[in-house]
Amino acid sequence: MENKQESKGWSPYLAGALTGLLLVFSVWFTGKYVGASTTFVRTAGLVERLFDQERVAKMEYFMKELPKIDWQWMFVVGIFFGSLIASTTSKTFRLQGVPAMWESRFGPHKAKRAVVAFLGGIVAMFGARLADG
Amino acid sequence: MIKELIYGCVTGILFGFLLQKSRVIRYDRQLGALRLIDMTIVKYMFSTILVAMVGVYLLKDLGIVKLSIKSTVLGGNIIGGLIFGFGWGFLGYCPATSLGALGEGRWDAVWGILGMLTGAAIFAEKFPLLKTSVLKWGVYGKITIPEVLGVNHWIIIVLFVIGGLFLFRWFEKKGL
Repeated sequence: MENKQESKGWSPYLAGALTGLLLVFSVWFTGKYVGASTTFVRTAGLVERLFDQERVAKMEYFMKELPKIDWQWMFVVGIFFGSLIASTTSKTFRLQGVPAMWESRFGPHKAKRAVVAFLGGIVAMFGARLADG
Repeated sequence: MIKELIYGCVTGILFGFLLQKSRVIRYDRQLGALRLIDMTIVKYMFSTILVAMVGVYLLKDLGIVKLSIKSTVLGGNIIGGLIFGFGWGFLGYCPATSLGALGEGRWDAVWGILGMLTGAAIFAEKFPLLKTSVLKWGVYGKITIPEVLGVNHWIIIVLFVIGGLFLFRWFEKKGL
């Protein structure tokens, strides 16, 4: 269960506004607009290429979104490290395989959560790519 | 090229830091928003959008940056959005926040990340079919709200900011 005493963290308005500034500076200094879901396509292509390079090379979607490590790929990996730094330096890092809200409704079974999260991930990414977002 | 990758990583680290500090990457917060009982992530996202909207348009008017407008394809946008929302409700993380959640130890995000990679692979397989169907419905190209309405973009920006502030005030009043 989540520690009830845990601090609420920064105001979402403040952190949100700072994130807005970060995006503005990113566009200003590098011309890059942020995103994340293209990175999942590129990574899927990189993994598939390990098994069948020729097939991936012929797939139309991987010609459009080349399987490579680019600005956004590094951005997405950076999110992991940024969160790791913020959580370990504020003692809010917690190894948890089943979220608190999930557990109170569906119980502590890790396998059940794993299956639903995996299937949810498939559906969410398919939709995100369809919407081009 | 290397410089570009470093910029990407640094931007990501700062973004991940802010996401974690405001506690918006947790399953409970994302589901809280979808269940309309905790608007923290909406406050965060809308604050980001308002600041970025003003900043980017200001830089554009000064001739410093170019906009990057995605094409409006109603078929893909609407159907894709509905499918995304459905999956998001089950997963409880979105593509970017799944990495952040993993960073603060919420390792059920791993299943979500593997699922999303699979979903991306499936989409790539089905793309030739989708391209000639759903993605051909309601294609409007790179349009923006001010262009469609034929008004100056600052009118729309000011309206969005005012609307956002009223929304925030309402959230705080209701204790969301």
